[in-house]
Amino acid sequence: MSETPLTPRAGEQNALLRFLDSDILYSFRQSKLTMLAAAVTASYFLIALFSPWIAPQNPFDLAGLNLLDSLTPPSWHPDGVPEFPLGTDDQGRDMLSAIMYGSRISLAVGFASVAFAATLGISLGLISGYVGGAVDTVIMRIADIQLTFPSILIALLIDGTVSGLLPSVAREDTAFWVLTFSIGLSFWVQYARTVRSSVLVEKDREYVQAARLIGLKPLTIMARHVLPNVLGPVLVIATINLALAVITEATLSFLGVGIPVTQPSLGTLIRIGNNFLFSGEWWITIFPGVALAILVLSVNLLGDWLRDALNPKLR
Amino acid sequence: MSAPILSVKNLVVEFPTRRGILTAVDEISFDIAAGEVLGVVGESGAGKSLTGAAIIGLLEPPGRVAGGEIVFDGRRIDNLSEEQLRSVRGSRIAMIFQDPLTSLNPLYRIGEQLIETILTHIDMSPSDARKRAISLLDEVGIPAPETRIDAYPHQFSGGMRQRVVIALALAGEPDLVIADEPTTALDVSVQAQIIQLLKRLCHERGMAIMLITHDMGVIAETADRVAVLYAGRIAEVGTTRELVHNPQHPYTSGLMSSIPSMDGDSDRLVQIPGSMPRLTAIPDGCAFHPRCSRSLERCHLERPDEFTVNQSRVACWLYDKDAPHD
Amino acid sequence: MTDAMVQVDSLTRLFDVSKPWLNRVIEREDRRFLRAVDDVSFDIRRGETFALVGESGSGKSTVAKMVVGLLQPTKGDIRIDGVNLADPAQSESMRAMRRRIQMIFQDPFASLNPRWRVDRIISEPIQAFGLESDDRAISKRVAELLTLVGMSGDDGRKFPHEFSGGQRQRICIARALASRPDFIVCDEPTSALDVSVQAQILNLMRDLQQEFGLTYLFISHDLSVVRHMASRIGVMYLGRIVEVAESKALFKQPSHPYTRMLFDAVPDLKMSGRPHQSVEGEIPNPISPPSGCTFHPRCPHVNERCRTEIPEAIASGDVIVACHAHQEGRIGKKL
Repeated sequence: MSETPLTPRAGEQNALLRFLDSDILYSFRQSKLTMLAAAVTASYFLIALFSPWIAPQNPFDLAGLNLLDSLTPPSWHPDGVPEFPLGTDDQGRDMLSAIMYGSRISLAVGFASVAFAATLGISLGLISGYVGGAVDTVIMRIADIQLTFPSILIALLIDGTVSGLLPSVAREDTAFWVLTFSIGLSFWVQYARTVRSSVLVEKDREYVQAARLIGLKPLTIMARHVLPNVLGPVLVIATINLALAVITEATLSFLGVGIPVTQPSLGTLIRIGNNFLFSGEWWITIFPGVALAILVLSVNLLGDWLRDALNPKLR
Repeated sequence: MSAPILSVKNLVVEFPTRRGILTAVDEISFDIAAGEVLGVVGESGAGKSLTGAAIIGLLEPPGRVAGGEIVFDGRRIDNLSEEQLRSVRGSRIAMIFQDPLTSLNPLYRIGEQLIETILTHIDMSPSDARKRAISLLDEVGIPAPETRIDAYPHQFSGGMRQRVVIALALAGEPDLVIADEPTTALDVSVQAQIIQLLKRLCHERGMAIMLITHDMGVIAETADRVAVLYAGRIAEVGTTRELVHNPQHPYTSGLMSSIPSMDGDSDRLVQIPGSMPRLTAIPDGCAFHPRCSRSLERCHLERPDEFTVNQSRVACWLYDKDAPHD
Repeated sequence: MTDAMVQVDSLTRLFDVSKPWLNRVIEREDRRFLRAVDDVSFDIRRGETFALVGESGSGKSTVAKMVVGLLQPTKGDIRIDGVNLADPAQSESMRAMRRRIQMIFQDPFASLNPRWRVDRIISEPIQAFGLESDDRAISKRVAELLTLVGMSGDDGRKFPHEFSGGQRQRICIARALASRPDFIVCDEPTSALDVSVQAQILNLMRDLQQEFGLTYLFISHDLSVVRHMASRIGVMYLGRIVEVAESKALFKQPSHPYTRMLFDAVPDLKMSGRPHQSVEGEIPNPISPPSGCTFHPRCPHVNERCRTEIPEAIASGDVIVACHAHQEGRIGKKL
């Protein structure tokens, strides 16, 4: 006795068709704000990726800078010139180009540190949830302790320690990686906790028990069955964390412990501009600040939407 | 029979979705007389809970009543404002849900919840309300109600909690109680106690109960009449005795004989092939025809009218006397 | 007993329900244990369906999990064809044994990996045990299994969410059969299904049992389903087996007061007007069970001995009952 087929749709569907038909895409199309945020985020990514080719100037090339151009106001200002639409800083760097290159560095640090934090957090969360017992207790207590400190403080601490250990010559070259490492290390807890609680739920699910019954090794079960099914919430955290990481990077750079002045990120640019805020050259700090705010806002909006879209209860 | 306390005519409940409008309850009509227990039985997705929610005005958006009328005690209630409805809900019509844990606020003593409910519906002093609350708890079979009234919900067992929920439903002296799967979360031995309690209350108070369940056993124990739902439509309505012993609709008879019996031997259970269609794919004509072993040609095309067979109302073309026989 | 395939001997399982260590130290509490299964013994004969029936908290699912090896017993042992599963010296035979024992779960919505297509789900055990060598043989076998459970071979290309509850349970059965087992533990396999679909699944399980000579351990709270499926039944209450008997005999003449109460509580579907004895009380909290016979607070035949002394399971003929009142002849025959 076979049951009547419930869905007239054919079983054979390619992944693209399934995606076009999915509820996620539908909910995306329903929200104009999300589409705008996605468009803005995407433009940032494109600009960051292609800034060497589309930026009017290479702000890192000190030889290409002319000190005579320094502190030029934006182009609509009576003293402004069309060559520098957003003005220049004290070294004659074109602010527009600096922001493009700065976004590139900010996003690179953001992505790298999120990737690092996620890898670390997911691994520890999986182990903690699946193994349980003393291992779980140790990992989760470390996480609890870390949570009692603000993450910016952790990042500062790690950044300071690691930079101190490295020879001062290497500091400039390694600044990017040290920053990524310290931001990443300050964010892993959230991933670990989320993954652990999802693992605790999935582990008792019957499809995981069925996999245990056929004698699969725990590592295989985790990779094949548990991990793919706990990635949904991780994606949401990662999106929101990207915005947080960009802000943390900006804060650290603003405090002067992040990316050095020679290759400024958005945060470094804001710090440089800060010195000129009271002497009237507002554009040096305001424009990078606005650029940072828009980026973070768009990414956060995307993250919020993703959280709602992946949560069936709110749909 | 006296004038019905509740009369539902051609009720339609719809859910607009992006793939079009889903009709979850499709032209359902039935009456409940005062003091009567009407069982509403059906498999998951048959629309039985939605019917209950529509009557009491608790449909979750985007669900909406899209047609028909609901007349309670001679007055239409499906077009009332939320405010007017609130005066009916609780005092005249009460609801009992499946999970007693979610119907009680864990932060308040059950006495506080009971007294608050009594005071919203009945004008009396707080001390009288407390006395009433105690007598309600006594009525639903809670031992030592004078002391238990100050306990928190978590201090009760599952069955006792469901009794408290029933006491809450009784607080406004309702004429109709809609009980949505009231025993499904309970063990068999506790279920039997709750069934006894509902029957006694109905008898003593002359209160009508709309008992929504998937369990024919509970229906057979409790209900005076039964409405069988299938894919959002009524398949058959009749007295419980008639429906249990002499089901007319092919779905009802299939359902009855697919239940394993506690006595007598049967090597194989009678099974209905297939499963109930999803709302997105309800067949044309009679919704049951793809699973029906006796389906006629017209079952594929025309939705069946309702015919009176013995004392039951059956929505099936097999009972159309005017149809040409071949 | 002759030809017992599965022998379960004084199986006990405790669960640690104590608070975390730090709380215990501060609140000066001892560890607390929940005795989910307490000294349970039974045999399952080859080719039969042995059912464990009981209400929530009776420990029936915990027994099932220990029998398949998902949970380790605290005490006692399980022998399958004479092989003790807990014996480390037997770990060689463990792998072979795993292939022969499979399980069908209660919730067909949680028992299939939502991200996998059906054919991958069913082929996983075939690959894990290396039963077929090449891909073509595997997909042929998957199609064969799907046909066996009443589905079409094309259904393998679909995802679990495209199926109804009954169809998913068929897929679960196909997966359980994939490793060619001879013993299947069924943990409430139809309690999440609608009645009309339940009948399909129960019929299918019986057909498969006859075709492949399967032995079932069938866990359920539904007496009518158990009566339909089982050849022998064990009734559990608060972690203990109170009565074991042939299915027909048990339904005709239940001996233990709890079994009688349970039968009495089942709704009278036939509306025969059978009088109900009023059922007393509810299942106590298993963390602090009553002393002596755990059923004594609800039992109409209770006396002093029941309150203090745990009754032993005593066999007479094919019936095993753990009840002082029964052994002392204080209970009359059921009418």
